[in-house]
Amino acid sequence: MSTVPKEMIEVIAQSIGIANLSPDVALALAPDVEYRLREIMQEAIKCMRHSKRTVLTADDVDGALSLRNVEPIYGFASGDPLRFKRAVGHKDLFYIDDRDMDLKEVIEAPLSKAPLDIAVVAHWLAIEGVQPAIPENAPLEAIVAPSESKRSEHGKEDALPVDIKLPVKHVLSRELQMYFDKITELTLSRSESVLFKEALVSLATDPGLHPLVPYFSYFIADEVARSLNELPVLFALMRVIRSLLRNPHIHIEPYLHQLMPSMITCLVAKKLGHRIADNHWELRDFSANLVSTVCRRFGHVYHNLQSRLTKTLIHAFLDPSKALTQHYGAIQGLSALGPGVVRLLILPNLETYMQLLEPEMQLDKQKNEMKRKEAWRVYGSLLCAAGKCLYDRLKLFPGLLSPSTRSLRRIKGRVATNMPNKRKSSTSLLSQQPPLKKLATDASMGSITPISLTANMQGATDVFPSQSSNSGIIQSSSSGQISKDTLSGAIRRDKGGAQPQKSSAVLSQAWKEDLDAGHLLTSLFELFGEGIFSFTQPAEMSFFL
Amino acid sequence: MPSMKQMTIFFVTSSVVGSCNLKYSYDLLLQYLQKTQSLAMLGVINEHINFEVLPGQPSTISDDAEVVALVGNSQDLAKQINQKEVHWGLLEDSVEERLERALSDSEKAEVENKEVELEDTKKRSTEGGKQGASVKKLKKDKLVGAMGKNVRSETSMVSMAPRVKPELTLPMMPIEVEHSILDDLRNRVQLSSLALPSVSFYTFLNTHNGLNCSSISQDGSFVAGGFSDSSLKVWDMSKIGQPAKICSCDDRKSTSGCCFYGGNKLVACRTNSQGENGPTQSDHLQGSDEGKRPYTLFQGHAGPVYSSTFSPLGDFLLSSSSDSTIRLWSNKLKANLVCYKGHNYPVWDVQFSPVGHYFASASHDRTARIWSMERIQPLRIMAGHLSDVDCVQWHVNSNYIATGSSDKTVRLWDVQSGECVRIFIGHRSMVLSLAMSPDGRYMASGDEDGTIMMWDLSTGRCVSPLMGHNSCVWTLAFSCEGTLLASGSADCTVKLWDVTSSTKALKMEDNKASCTNRLRLLKALPTKATPVYSLRFSRRNLLFAAGALSKLS
Repeated sequence: MSTVPKEMIEVIAQSIGIANLSPDVALALAPDVEYRLREIMQEAIKCMRHSKRTVLTADDVDGALSLRNVEPIYGFASGDPLRFKRAVGHKDLFYIDDRDMDLKEVIEAPLSKAPLDIAVVAHWLAIEGVQPAIPENAPLEAIVAPSESKRSEHGKEDALPVDIKLPVKHVLSRELQMYFDKITELTLSRSESVLFKEALVSLATDPGLHPLVPYFSYFIADEVARSLNELPVLFALMRVIRSLLRNPHIHIEPYLHQLMPSMITCLVAKKLGHRIADNHWELRDFSANLVSTVCRRFGHVYHNLQSRLTKTLIHAFLDPSKALTQHYGAIQGLSALGPGVVRLLILPNLETYMQLLEPEMQLDKQKNEMKRKEAWRVYGSLLCAAGKCLYDRLKLFPGLLSPSTRSLRRIKGRVATNMPNKRKSSTSLLSQQPPLKKLATDASMGSITPISLTANMQGATDVFPSQSSNSGIIQSSSSGQISKDTLSGAIRRDKGGAQPQKSSAVLSQAWKEDLDAGHLLTSLFELFGEGIFSFTQPAEMSFFL
Repeated sequence: MPSMKQMTIFFVTSSVVGSCNLKYSYDLLLQYLQKTQSLAMLGVINEHINFEVLPGQPSTISDDAEVVALVGNSQDLAKQINQKEVHWGLLEDSVEERLERALSDSEKAEVENKEVELEDTKKRSTEGGKQGASVKKLKKDKLVGAMGKNVRSETSMVSMAPRVKPELTLPMMPIEVEHSILDDLRNRVQLSSLALPSVSFYTFLNTHNGLNCSSISQDGSFVAGGFSDSSLKVWDMSKIGQPAKICSCDDRKSTSGCCFYGGNKLVACRTNSQGENGPTQSDHLQGSDEGKRPYTLFQGHAGPVYSSTFSPLGDFLLSSSSDSTIRLWSNKLKANLVCYKGHNYPVWDVQFSPVGHYFASASHDRTARIWSMERIQPLRIMAGHLSDVDCVQWHVNSNYIATGSSDKTVRLWDVQSGECVRIFIGHRSMVLSLAMSPDGRYMASGDEDGTIMMWDLSTGRCVSPLMGHNSCVWTLAFSCEGTLLASGSADCTVKLWDVTSSTKALKMEDNKASCTNRLRLLKALPTKATPVYSLRFSRRNLLFAAGALSKLS
């Protein structure tokens, strides 16, 4: 009973010039005003319902007022819902956002176009209970079985070897043409706008776009070739590709041959964008993901898709005459294809490549700061690729690096006897820590301190001889191997001498399925320092700690 | 009042607004009593009524028969009214009946033939039961046979309904119209939960929130829209695909023509496969229509048009408006014929009777009225609702009308006597739409909250609530043989419900498990941001729907 307080009545009275309103009058009027208001609103809601609407408009209130023989309120002629703004500092106080307009401007402005006349169009909402996938219908579910139908078509073609294709005149409706023009315009000129984002969503969801796909693929191929210096355009084009790939109603396979070169260009081109500040790395990453998506989705249909792609990429990667940016793109592309590809193609070449890369990264050898930065980028991507691969291996053999009880039992109590030894050695070896720490590259990303790590590794070497006897069992031997390798590595580095063939051998064998993750870890550790440890799982780390 | 027990009134509302309103009403009552010093009444209220408003989701509808308090009628009165006799049967000697009779002989023979065949196959299968495949095939055959029988039994269920004599003098039906109806009936597609209808959707574009109502003629060839700018516009859908001057388009013309005229499922499908983008092409042509409107504009009302209805033959059109008049328009002459004045307030709804000639209207003045086309005064005034009468629907036998109201009840009225013969209590908000089953026994009503209720006219009880829509149910339609119910809502979907399951469960009244008599939602067909304003099954069971495309939010 208190939506309308008596103070409100007093304020209204004052505003219309009644200065001395007795409080009794206000008190009596307040509930009456509230009742009238509620009545009007109730009637207005009825009018709204009969206008088949769920949003109340000013027209409805006017209708309700006329039902009660009250003059309607003027000034709210627009049929659109009113826009309310919250008053600053008040929680429940709203006002209509009514901007001042200059009358002169309104008069001088050109006449706006006449609104389109009302029209009725017909379409099939459902045919025998099934909704056809036409643009007029809401996108329901993706077309599920295009591959099956295709296969059946192929089967038919086998039976009928002669396939005469009549020339088909392709007619594009005006709406689609306008849509295409709009999208291309947005892509080329306004890729930062919100509208472009909306356009991408539309491209990814609209079921009626299939007729436009050839045009889009041609447009993309054309524009990528033309505007290699325009980074925003390239990025926008890649986004368009991604949206098209995401659209479940589009069968993009026939146009992949046109789109793939563009994507690869954006991945491994020497120079993308014309300014130094252009962040072409991001574009390369984005394209790498796109390419890998394509391979994952269509790899089973086009068997040579991935092989051709990897050939291109590895070619770019292994050519020392290519720019570092190209190397970066190639590495990103390969690593996006999965850890298997990394193991097969990157890891065997890692050692040699690092030898090439290292001088580029060092301040005293590479004076050009741009070049050095690029080298560090490449280094980072290599680390990432190798790390992901390692992570994958570790995931595959979860017991590999954790001290399983079985392996402990095989040691037949020696562990127990060795334990004090171990601890002793670990403490004693703390002194050895500085040289190792020095080895660690400054790109340290790991959270583990090198102290405990090396100490543990060294400590574990004590166990090694006992295990070497049954090294046929990978599980038990792995921990030993690590320590041995690490040890040898450490020795190598301590002496400054080299035992490089060991780790490179491991890496060149990296493609093998039964690769020992322990070996891998060690070799990678040699190349990257403890940066690689951020890719091992905490559970596995427990072994070291 | 010694007989009055302690009564607790619980109001459970899902909305904050609802609970506020209830509290406000209660406060208003107490205030009034205090002001008028009616202490006796206050005493009674204080002693016996415990008023509580509980926020939260309302419980299921079936388990509170005590919603009377919301309605304002005493339960006894409602019971008393509901004990009156209702002759819900179909009209004697209808066209359908004549057709059934004609068909029944040939059909019987057919069924017998089938049975004989079945027996044969059974024998064969027992003889050579080694081959699994053949047995399977036979089973399939049997299934099909059984289905066929089922369908037949359902149709005969409609024909099994009792027959009643018409209480109104019925208009004569021209012989050629009768022939076309018979033709439609013969070509009717049998719908069931396994055979869903095709739905043709008419979308109104560029309405700018101005479309208040739409209606579709029986064969779907005309669509009318009532607008808030007082105009009524009628589109001839059979001509909409026709280009004005461009020749060599006979092909498209004929296909779209037979689609909209025929209303036959098979024709419809063929059209679709042939000219997939027929509709999209047509609206191009409309735009280049050399300044001529693609529709017929009916002007005459002085306020928003709230409802329109086509006569059964499609030659007349009625519209009701906020200016409290109803106007009759001729679809052939494209002119206003009569203006019916009688209501004092906006007329929310108008409906032609199934036989034509008569029509019923519902108004804000809390009455429903029966009119005939030839008189400008109403024939009957149905008064009794406690708030606006929002919708009206004729019973199939034209002897009754049903009205839905803002007082949350549906009433059934005898057209001849003008008496209220049933009160249906159970809705929790304003009733917006009504539909009568073709066998005359059931009625469906939809409300503001999205609940649809099936009522048994003979008992006056709710068969089952249909939950599924989450916004206003603007329109309801039964398929021609009464197996499906279609509902259109503000939530931009058309939903199809299986009606047979519920009615059958009701027939076996001994197993009253509540889960069995819940109607089944067969299919929800979402539209693209288009609330569904009206639905109509053609005589051949093609479903037409119409709605205005609203802005994508």
